[in-house]
Amino acid sequence: MAFERRKILLVPLDPVHDIGLKMIRRGLEQAGHQTMLLPPDLPPEEIVSIMGKEHPDHVMISRTLGYGVGEVLGRFVDLADAAGLRDKTALVVGGMAVRPELAAELGFDAGFGPGTSVEEVVAFVEGRPYQPDLAGAKKQKKDITAGYAYEYRHAGIGNLLEKIVTNILTWSEGKISPGILRSRLRDESWDVESFRQGKVSREFSEAYAQLCDPVPQAFHRKGEVHPKTRRQTDQEIARLEDYLTKTKSRMTVSKVQHVEGQPKVFIQYGTGCPFMDIAHIKVCEAWGADGVVHFDPSWGARTEGFIGGFLTHQEDGSVVTPENLSWIKAALEASTLWQVRAHRGLNTAETVVLAGKLGADLTKINIAYGSLAAGTDPARLTVDGIEAIRMAVKYKLPFDVVTNEELAGVPAHKAFAGMLIVTALGRRLGARPILQPLFSYSPEVMIGGQMINNYIDFNAAKIEALRSIIDAPLWPGAPIGFLTQTEDRVQSSMTTSLHAALAASLRVDAISIASSDEAYSGGPIIAASRVDTLQAVAEGFRFFGEGRITPTVHAQQWADEMVDKIEAVLKEVAQSPTFVEALYAGLLGSKEEGAYPGRGGRGTVTEK
Amino acid sequence: MVAQGVLSRVMDALDLETFLVCSSEEEGKELAIRLMKSLGFQDVDLVFIRFGGPGARIRVRAYIYRPGQDYAWVRQIDDGEKRG
Ligand code: B12
Repeated sequence: MAFERRKILLVPLDPVHDIGLKMIRRGLEQAGHQTMLLPPDLPPEEIVSIMGKEHPDHVMISRTLGYGVGEVLGRFVDLADAAGLRDKTALVVGGMAVRPELAAELGFDAGFGPGTSVEEVVAFVEGRPYQPDLAGAKKQKKDITAGYAYEYRHAGIGNLLEKIVTNILTWSEGKISPGILRSRLRDESWDVESFRQGKVSREFSEAYAQLCDPVPQAFHRKGEVHPKTRRQTDQEIARLEDYLTKTKSRMTVSKVQHVEGQPKVFIQYGTGCPFMDIAHIKVCEAWGADGVVHFDPSWGARTEGFIGGFLTHQEDGSVVTPENLSWIKAALEASTLWQVRAHRGLNTAETVVLAGKLGADLTKINIAYGSLAAGTDPARLTVDGIEAIRMAVKYKLPFDVVTNEELAGVPAHKAFAGMLIVTALGRRLGARPILQPLFSYSPEVMIGGQMINNYIDFNAAKIEALRSIIDAPLWPGAPIGFLTQTEDRVQSSMTTSLHAALAASLRVDAISIASSDEAYSGGPIIAASRVDTLQAVAEGFRFFGEGRITPTVHAQQWADEMVDKIEAVLKEVAQSPTFVEALYAGLLGSKEEGAYPGRGGRGTVTEK
Repeated sequence: MVAQGVLSRVMDALDLETFLVCSSEEEGKELAIRLMKSLGFQDVDLVFIRFGGPGARIRVRAYIYRPGQDYAWVRQIDDGEKRG
């Protein structure tokens, strides 16, 4: 079909507003049409008289003000009718105050509301069907550890770390635990293909049951599920399948980042119900989340062994079972990074194996945090942590080394010393660890006053300090802005957004964000609150682009102090008879600082 | 209570935000909860309140589904579509 050049008269039937119309005019002209734009605020009689002289193919009316809309537009249509101008000219109306229904009611040929795209208007004028780009943002999974060499930039600290790592590996030689045995059994004898086909190996179940606490034992021997959980019914599963198919067919993913290189954004899920988790994950993907982190219930870390089944329950955290993880994996978009946390408990090593076999992209391991602030025996978590790191290497899972002991009151430099030891251990064993400092209003700064003036300096100091020690990826979390959020959704979203902007300004690799329900503990987090913070972060990224936030002089000063203190702590740890004894001695966080060596799994480490 | 009609399409909870004219935070809390109950919601909680001079800014929540319950929106999507 040959191109037909149209003559279009553009009319702002409004006291002032004409920006939208000007945009449309530019689009029409670029498409080769002839346009004529009238000034705002002309009386309808004058407009009709111009129409009579110009004989346009289309008249495009725009109305922004929401007052007297029906009256003004109605009068205009009546006058155009009376002047006999309707046969050759199409009357179109659009703008913020226009709804297509109203336009039809008033007798316009077409009506376009707010948010109409210029392409749509051009397509309409040319009589073409409008095909919006439904593909959405093209996203690809990113390896956030790519490009890091893990070289020590601080030779003194590097030497200390290497010495400590050697000691840990020597000490752990020949030591074994039920957790290690389960992880090896899962690694060698649990076939993910057979599992997917619904086959249960009796041999595996029995051998596995022998290494478990009573609750998982009852599951593997008699099929009983944990008393707090229930199985999803067949009917629920059928509906979930249906829901997923339909949702996936209309899924588009978007981007939170405004410019290349802004951090990847992770959200944390764990409503207790994998089905609700999936519903939330799909919402977050649609609003731009790059990755999702699985949160399990707190009892998961205290029980030897996993149960199975597609299980839901009404407490915080979603149970780790092969079925639950498989469903979640099946629900993810191809571009979504998936982290399954192993870090803190008696199933640390086996979680890595399970996550690896079921297709996770990342895991989480930290011996110091898990044994000082999450209830696991230091010796047990040291041997299990090493096994977990080896499995992470085998299954090619980078892992972050979280420093949540800071929330208990451990000062940042001690938490960092622990994180660096685990990172160095990972480095030695060929893993890809990721540093995870907190961006938080921690007990340390509440007492020390480093955040009296702003939230920027101390967080910037942390990044600066770590960067001066080792060339490794950084993923502040988890979530950023810990203890700065309140129940007010605007405040909560705002503080998350600003911490995200700070992270972007510091050029880190990833961040984990909370929902605007972070500080609300009266009930589960809701989907709408996840949208709040994703939108807020996107806006923060949009605002700053490649621009930077400038810390004050304190940042560098605190960074230097932090590095010195980290070195001092590592010297003490290196002099300690063993790493485990250093943990007990409080070198990486003492009882006075809120760190208590855990008891979970005490006495379960044996010599081979 | 199983959610009916449009309410069953709420993914998890319904938040109501407004400004209530009241004379204290206590009164604001009571009014906020009463407002939700008067609208027929049972599982309600005040998420946020800030009182100042003329009254209180509130955000009050009614859970339609808590995790682990039977979410009717799955079925509703089916019902809404014609099946051959
Ligand atoms: C820019 C602006 C102004 C500028 C206008 C400059 C100009 N030359 O246009 C100025 C500062 C002058 C102005 C003044 C006023 N404004 Co003003 N203004 C806005 C503002 C910020 C943006 C509007 C805009 O241009 N949007 C961008 C364009 C691209 O969007 P759009 O118009 O919707 O157009 C799109 C579609 O609707 C569609 N479209 C538009 N027209 C048409 C036509 C056709 C045929 C088709 C197919 C499609 C189509 O395509 C476009 C592309 O997507 C809005 C608030 C906001 N953030 O939206 C308030 C707003 C529109 N203004 C408002 C008001 C009240 C006023 C004043 C009356 C305030 C006052 N009392 O003084 C005055 C006018 C005074 C007067 N003299 O009468 C109110 C209207 C509220 C209401 N319920 O009606 C708003 C919503 C702000 C608010 N929330 O209070 N304003």
